[in-house]
This record gives sequence, C-alpha cells and structure tokens, in this order.
Amino acid sequence: MTSRYLVGRLAGLVVAVVTVSILAFLLMHAVPGGPFDETRSPLPPAAKANILRKYGLDQPLWVQYARYVWHALHGDFGIPYQSPTETVLALIARVWPVTLVLGAIVVSLSFTLGLTLGILGALRHSTWLDTLLTSLATLGMTVPNFVIAIWLIYIFSIRLRWLPTGGWGEARLLIMPAIAYSLQPLAVVARYTRVAVLEALAGDYVRTALAKGLHPAQVVVRHVLRNALIPIVTLLGPMIPDLFTGSIFIEFTFRIPGLGKFFVTSIFQRDYPLIMATVLLVAVLWSLTYLASDVLYVLIDPRVRLGARGR
Amino acid sequence: MSGSRYIAAAVVVLLGLWGVGALSATTNAVGKPLPADAAPPAQQVITGLTQPATTLDFFVSVYKRPQNVDGNSWSDVLSTPLVRLDKDFNLVPAAAKSWEASKDGLTWTFHLDRSLTWSDGTPLTADDFVATFRLGADPKQAWDFAWFFSVIKGWDDAVKGTIPVGQIGVRRGADPYTLVVTTTMPAPYLPGMMLYSPPLQAKALAGVGPFYNTDPATSVSSGPYLLQEWTKDQRMVLVANPKYGGVKPSIQQVVLKFADLKTEFQAYQANEVDVAANFSPADLQVIENDPALRAQYHQGFGDFRTYYVGFDTLHQPFDNLKVRQAFSHAIDRAGLIKNVIKQQGIAAYGFLMPGFPGSQNASLQSVQMYNPALAKTLLTEAGYPDGKGFPKLELWLRSERALGQAVGNAIGAMLKQNLGIEVEVSNRETKLFMDELNGHRLQLYMVSYGMDFLDPANMLGIWLSGGRHAWVNLRFDTLVKTASSMVGDPVRRMAMFHDAETLLVTDVGFIPIYFVTPGFMWKPYLKGDALRADKIGVTAWHWPGWDGLSTLHQSVYVNQDVSKYRR
Amino acid sequence: MSLQGVAAVRVIRTVPRSPWATAWWQYARNPLRLLAASVALLIVGASILAPLLAPTRYDVANIEESLQSPSSRHWLGTDAIGRDVLSRLLYGGRTSLEVSLAVVALALVIGVPLGMAAGFGGGWLDYAVVRLVEVSTALPALLLAMLLISVLGSGIGNTILALAVVAWIEPCRLMRAQTLALRNREFVEAAWALGASTGQIIRRHILPNTVGPLIVVVTLTIPRMIFAEASLSFLGLGINDPLPSWGKMVSESVSYMQVYPVLGIAPTIMIALMVLTLTLVGDGLRDALDPSRGQRGGGWR
Repeated sequence: MTSRYLVGRLAGLVVAVVTVSILAFLLMHAVPGGPFDETRSPLPPAAKANILRKYGLDQPLWVQYARYVWHALHGDFGIPYQSPTETVLALIARVWPVTLVLGAIVVSLSFTLGLTLGILGALRHSTWLDTLLTSLATLGMTVPNFVIAIWLIYIFSIRLRWLPTGGWGEARLLIMPAIAYSLQPLAVVARYTRVAVLEALAGDYVRTALAKGLHPAQVVVRHVLRNALIPIVTLLGPMIPDLFTGSIFIEFTFRIPGLGKFFVTSIFQRDYPLIMATVLLVAVLWSLTYLASDVLYVLIDPRVRLGARGR
Repeated sequence: MSGSRYIAAAVVVLLGLWGVGALSATTNAVGKPLPADAAPPAQQVITGLTQPATTLDFFVSVYKRPQNVDGNSWSDVLSTPLVRLDKDFNLVPAAAKSWEASKDGLTWTFHLDRSLTWSDGTPLTADDFVATFRLGADPKQAWDFAWFFSVIKGWDDAVKGTIPVGQIGVRRGADPYTLVVTTTMPAPYLPGMMLYSPPLQAKALAGVGPFYNTDPATSVSSGPYLLQEWTKDQRMVLVANPKYGGVKPSIQQVVLKFADLKTEFQAYQANEVDVAANFSPADLQVIENDPALRAQYHQGFGDFRTYYVGFDTLHQPFDNLKVRQAFSHAIDRAGLIKNVIKQQGIAAYGFLMPGFPGSQNASLQSVQMYNPALAKTLLTEAGYPDGKGFPKLELWLRSERALGQAVGNAIGAMLKQNLGIEVEVSNRETKLFMDELNGHRLQLYMVSYGMDFLDPANMLGIWLSGGRHAWVNLRFDTLVKTASSMVGDPVRRMAMFHDAETLLVTDVGFIPIYFVTPGFMWKPYLKGDALRADKIGVTAWHWPGWDGLSTLHQSVYVNQDVSKYRR
Repeated sequence: MSLQGVAAVRVIRTVPRSPWATAWWQYARNPLRLLAASVALLIVGASILAPLLAPTRYDVANIEESLQSPSSRHWLGTDAIGRDVLSRLLYGGRTSLEVSLAVVALALVIGVPLGMAAGFGGGWLDYAVVRLVEVSTALPALLLAMLLISVLGSGIGNTILALAVVAWIEPCRLMRAQTLALRNREFVEAAWALGASTGQIIRRHILPNTVGPLIVVVTLTIPRMIFAEASLSFLGLGINDPLPSWGKMVSESVSYMQVYPVLGIAPTIMIALMVLTLTLVGDGLRDALDPSRGQRGGGWR
C-alpha cells in the first residue's frame, strides 16, 4: 500500500460524493410535493409561485444544482426549511453531538459485549451456552428497537416509575435509549464475531500453531482473532457510521434532540437543503468508513494487496 | 428632600402592600387572584407535548406552529387577535372592543382596545395589524396561508405582485386605534375570519424580521404569555405576561416539550404531562378499563373535523351515481363507531358536524343509510352484480395513525363483504397523498377536513369545483358562492347552505364516515370554567385549545390535589 | 475443552461415503439442528398451507368482535377490526417469507458476483464497484422508495425491488473483502500455479471459505427485510391491507402493546423462530457441506 493508493482513494471519495450529490438532487426533486403545504387544497398558482421563488425552486434544475454547489464550496449549505432561524450547518452542529454521545455509548456497549459473547459462543461451539447465546442474539435481531423502547417505557416509566419516559440532559435519561438502541447491534456483532472466529478456528494455521506448542489463549489472540478480523471489519465497520447518525424511532420515542430524525423529517417535509446536507454527510462518512476498512485489511493481513491488478 | 427619596418611599409602601397581598396567598406572579382551592402560585404550571415547531406566529407559518393535532393548539399565545372564541364558540372581543360593517357590507371598522400594550411598553395599534397583514400578502414572505384572506380588497393582486402590499384593503382608520378592512364582496363572515389576526409587532418586524418570536431576547408579546425559553427540538417555556391588558391567566407557566405525539399517552400515564390527546383504539381500552383514567377523559369537538370517503366522480367507475350510492349504503358507520372509533367520533351522514352552524346531520341520515341489500341491488343495476367486473380498488389514506388505519381497513373489509369488491388499503405519506388528491388522480380515498372559521361557507367551500375534489356540480357552486357573500338575510343564507349540503350528499359527492370528537385527558387537579359543561353539555377543552385565539386558558388553574401527582 | 484435544480428534473420522450422504450424516448427527430444520420446515409449510390451515381468510373482518383476547374461537384473539390474528399470522408468514427470501436471493445474485469480481479483478473494476457501493449506501433509500412508488405504484414486486436496491450492498462488500483476503493465500497461489481456471478457484477455494459469513448475512438480512417491508408500507410501497405480513403486524401492534400484547408478541415470536431456526440450519449446512470443517467443528465440543 502506497501513498499513491491513498490519494487515489481520496479522489475516488470526491467522485463518489459528487455522484451522490447529483443523484440525490435529482431524486429529491423527482419525488412529488414540495416545501409548500397543500394539506387543505391546492394552493392558488400565485401563492405557490411565490413559495417556489422564495426558495429558488423556479429555476431550472441544473441552475439550482450549480448554485447549491457554488454556495456549498463557500461553506454555505443553505437554511433548513424546517428551522429557518438557523443555517443547515448550525442545525447539524447543534444536533449531531447529541447523536454522537448516544452513538458512542451504543457502539462501546454493543461492541465490547458483542465481541465477548461472539468469541465465547465460537469457543464453546455447539454447546448449550452457544445455543443460548445464539437464541438471545436472534431475539435481539428480530425484536425491533421501537418495540423494545415501548416495553421499556411501559415497565420502567409507567409501572415502576423509576425513569422518566424521555428527555435529554441528565445521565439517567440515557439508560433506556441506550438499552433499546444497543440490543440489535449487540446481537449482530455477536453473530458475526461468532461465525468469523469459527471460520478462523478451522484454518490450518491453528493446527500448526497448536502443534508448535503455543498456549491455546495465545493461539486465539494471535491467530484466530487476527484472521477473524477481516469479515468482522467488513461487516461491522458500517454499523459505526450508522449508529453515529442516529435513529428516528429512538429519538422520537425518548424525545432525544438528535440528528437521526432529520434524515426522515427532511424528506417528509421536502426540506431540500437539509436532505442534501444529510446525504452528503452520510456519503463522506461511509466513504471514509469503507476506506478505513480497506486500509485495515492490509494492516490485519499483509498478504492483502489493495489496488493491485488481478490476473 | 430630593425627588428620588419620595420615589424610594413610594416603592417601600408599594412593596409592603404587595407583601400583604402575597401573604394572603391568593394571587399569582402576574397578580391574578387564584381560587380558594388553588395550589400555590409556583404550582400553577402546565406541561404538555407538542409536535416540533418552527414558529409561534400564525402570520409566519400556519402549519409549522406548535400544535397538538385535532385542534388542541398551543400557539399564538404571544399575541392578541381582533376577536377570540369563547367556549360556546361565540365570537368575543379581544384586541377589538367592537366592530361594524358599512351599509354596502364592503367595509369593516374595528375599534381597538386602547389599554393593550406590547410587553416592551409599546401600545398595540392599528399599525401593527396593518404591518402584519402586509407581511401576509407579501410575495417575498410567501406565506403558506395566503389564500385564506383573498376576500380582502387587493389581497390577491398583492400576492401576485401586481400591486404593492401597501395597497391592500387593511388600513389604519381615523386614529391609531381604528382598523379598517375593505373586501371585494360583502363578507358577513369577516369578523369570524379575524380570529386569525394575531398581530406581529410593526417595530419588531421592521427591526428583527418575522422570526423575532423564536428567541426570548427579541420576542415581544401582546398576548397572555411571554416567551421565556426555546431550546430547539427540546422544549419551550412560556410565562404569564405581567403587561397583558386582557384577562390574565392563573397558570403562570406553560412548558411545551417537543415530541412525537404517539408517546403522549405514555407521558400522561407517567405523570409527566398534565394533558393528553390523540388516543389509539388501544389507549381508549386502557382508559375504559381504569375508572380513574375514565374520569379524566373529556370528549370535545376538535375543529369540527369530518372523515369521509371520496372518489374520482369524473371517471369510471365512480362517474356512475348508482355505483357511488351502492358504496354509500355499504358502509356501516354505526358499527364503526360502536367497535372501533368509540368515544372519538359520531356517525356522519352530512359534512357539517352537529354543533356547527348549519348542521343537518339528523335529517340527512336516511340519504346514505347503511343498507347492504340496497347496496347490492344498486351495484347490480350499475352492471356489476356481486362486484363482478368491478376493477380492483386501492383506498388511499393520508398518513393515518392507529385509529385512522383501523377505520380505513374496516371500510375496505365492508366493501369486500357487502359488495364483493376487492379493496386494498394503502396508507400514504401526506405530501404524496395531497399531490395525487389535488391533481384529481385519486380514485378512492379517505381523508378528513376541519374548519378554519365557524361558518358553513368555510366547510362547504372545500367542495367547490376546482378544489381538491374530483366532483363537479354547478348548482352546488352557485348555492355556496351566493350564500357565502349574502348579507341581510341569515335565514335564506342558511337555507341555501342546507340545499347545497343536501345536494352534495344525495349526489354522493362523498361518503361521510364520522365526525371527530377528540378525547382530551386532563389531570384531575386541573380546574376552571373551560372544563365545565358548555351550552350543549360538553365538558372538554374546546378548539382552539391552549391558544391566544380562545378565551379558554384564562380560567384554568391547578388545584391542591396536584400534590398527590407531581413529584 | 482443550485446543490440543481438538487437534487430536481431527484426524479420526474418514469413513468413505457419497458427498450427499456425508452432508446428511454431518447434519443429522446434531439433534438440535434436526429440530431446527423441522421447525423451519413447519413454519414454511404452515405459511404455504395457510389457506388450508387458517380458521378464516386473512381479510374476513367482523367488527363486532374487534380487539378480543385469545379464546377458543380465536386462539390468538382478534385485531382492531375483528380479524382472526391466527389466520393473519399464517397468511402473514407467506408474505414475509416471500418478500424477504426474494430480496435475499436478489441481493445474493447481484452482490456476490459483483463483490467477487471486484476482489479478483482489482484495478478499475474494483474501483468502479467500490464507488458503486459508496454511492448506493449514501443515497437515501427512503427517497428512492418514494420515487419508486410514485412511478411504479404499489405491489409486492415493487416492494421487493425497492428493498433489493439496498440489500445487495452487504453481500457485495463481504465477498470483495473475502476475495481480497483469499486471493493471495498459499493454496490459491498453488492452484493458480497448477493451472486451475478462475471458475475452479472460485468454486473450490473462494466460495467455501465465504459460506459462513454469507449465511450470517442472509440470516440477518431476513428479519431486516421483514421490518423494512413494514416501514415501506407506511409509504404505501409495502404490503397493502388487507394482506398481512409479520413485520406489519409487529409495527401496527406497538400502539396496542399495553392492552393487547398478543398482537405484537405472536408475530415477533414467529419472526424470531424463523430466524433462529434458519441460523441453526445455516450453521449446520455450512458444516455439512464442508466436511473437513464439520469434522473439526465436531471436535470443539
């Protein structure tokens, strides 16, 4: 791996982000409706034209896009239609930290527990413990977080009165959202880890290492985990940007002022500047994640050659 | 002895008097005497949930204000409109002490209450109203409710940009406390429309712009409350306005938490909010099973909202009256009310809800009565015996929650059962739905409509051709348009509205399903006139709710029982 | 258990059998997996045979009997408009399995070759696939779904399409990563040297070493698609009422949780059982189809 490779990848990132921005721009304008309310009846043409003019939507699409890019390059991502007293950047700067706090808790919780349980399950392959862990993980994967959230509220807020139903700003308010939000990623991490470790355990090098008289614990850490890491990185890496961009269900149910809900409300409200901003944010975040996981492949396994031509 | 010492002495005396008042513990922070059983002033707080909002002000955006759906609004408390509604839906003076129309019915003069001021001390004058209406008509502002005032002279032209906003028919009269509104045609309902006149301050508009009320630092109020805190996406805190010239509220603080209203009933059960609305059928079951909760449930009117099934009557198969009639007789409204909607609605046979001016629900009952046998016969006569040959249908719903979905699904099942027609029920996102509805591309749908002001002209006006519905009846158009602008003969006017509604129902332009009677829950420690029975015996909070547009909040207070609930 | 023990056990069983018999023997010797397979078959069978097994059709409503608790008449009670929940559960399984299995199949058909080509081919091919993956991940699926619905209309085929648009990404990335990791391994190098064709290398060396993670991707994608279908139904792109699906039954049950928990619990259990049994069957199949691993795996007890 060379620095040329990295430069190439970063250029690729730019290509991807530009492509995504064009596609998202076309897509959002192709979806019917607009940032006007026709809930009661069709707006009179003059009133509708005023709204379109106010937001510059009366211009041809390519002009709108060119304007958007020009402004964005100058650091101006527009004003969200839903919150016209602040800029898109200010809104994201206000709500993303909230999501990052919750995301960090969820990531650390689900990854430490998930990896531990996954490794445990693999080492105790086909025992009752493994089956139990698999069953629990399945339940974690199949009960959606909004259902868990409602149950938690019912038990801990309505019946036991231990915790408030929602809100933000106190540590105890994090308990229920963190649990409801962590269970599924935890289960997924445990599942993937278990299988990846199992695959690695079957490798010839394990036998070789054992034959050489290495201590089993050393074998697990040095060989098994190392070889299990590629599928783990591939499959679990993307969970991180996902968790760091929040969940609308969790935020709405627990009244958390985070970023997650804006991915959905911006679309439902046809809040074009915010749609673009969230799409670009995700594009950059994912491209970086993919790049990071590719670089990690090489670090984990020097035999992997990136960017090399095939045969 | 200098002048300042006199002032100091006066302050001491005044403080002493205030102290005496405080000792008797019967006034709150803004000097409103509290009833004998009231909790201490510090407890005179109401907490509620509301949908995320952009503004508090009507003239900035109508649809992005803090609301609780079904008309239990929380907005416009920072402003005093010309008129308000009392709980019997009478128009009562607010910023205007009185008003009158000219002989030709084209000019209305409103006489403002000279005692009203803004919280910064500026008097509330006609200039504020003029500036506010100009903002509403301004094409650059592009207000989302601009269509509403098109009866005002010059309004539509100003919106189009063909005349400057300075030329609209809203002007200052002989003095700063007289407001003159001219209309393009006689509009007897104009004072009713002025419910939607909560003014913005001319000075703040010029200095800060229309969003001055989103920040406590720039906010000014002419209404019962002041903005104390607005933490975006989290909460808003309103406190009673000491400079408010009208009837001051007992509740000295209102806390609004922004939330998805699906969680409202849970927050209510956890004693985190004092009021709740929007109940699912299952919530109603929880309430029914619990006598304590049952006692806290009040049934109201909402905004006189009617749920109905509509069709594309301009194309096959619904251009055939017999088909529409067959559908109208195939829906068992009584069964829906009894088993699904329960307390949250009453069976609808017309468009105007009982209690709304001009309602004739009882006399229209026979027109679209539930009669599956008749429905089958009609469908056969239309050429579709047992639904054979009838195209497969998709019944569209507009972002309905649990109750609306259940009703839509039940209607689909009834059509299948009684007519043998396959109906899929599809719940759609609001904007996709409205785009299709307004474009007259929807074959079959269920949607609702609620009033803007208390006059049949408003509710029936939605059925004029060229609106959102694919139903055209020229006689209906003439009747509604003539009656709407008729002055001097209220009896004939009402008779014309009756004829128009009867026409709409007999031509099966739509199938009325139910009138929404939304339930509200109030913690038992909330008391006051607003919660006592009105003239027709309803004990609920009335539309428009906790709002500067109504007088309701004036009477509500928290009594001593609150100590058993709040921690 | 000790790791040294494992190495010892590994050499023991080498009874010659036909490959299918070996696979079956491998699979069947674990009673839990047999049970899992029977339960999975039972669920699939019950879903296919729903018209015969269900007490009523899924769209028969009697609003006079709405929201009833389980009784001898309605074993799982009734829903908000008086439809038999058991019947809807059986029919719902059909929809959910149909949708999720079709999406998974599409995702594999698109994702696996694409990922493998990228990992093997390298160069511009890899570059193009990585860009495609990045762009597809970042494009808001919700917008895409909304556009699809307004252009194509609703229908089970379009639901599957809307879901597959996103679902192929994970198998594609996994295959690419696995291929990248494997293509320079000694045994692959050796195979090249012996003149094996690309197809042979993929069949013999790449695919077998990817089956485990792929099975997990499949078992994870199924519940995800079951719920994605339910959230699409909010846009009118999912399954329209009266046709039931498990995902829809769960999401609609949320507001009934406090009084009629059975409305949500029943479909949740079905989804969980389906996924759990599929997981166990998948594990078993993986071991069974790769006898060498199966023998070693057996040693880990």
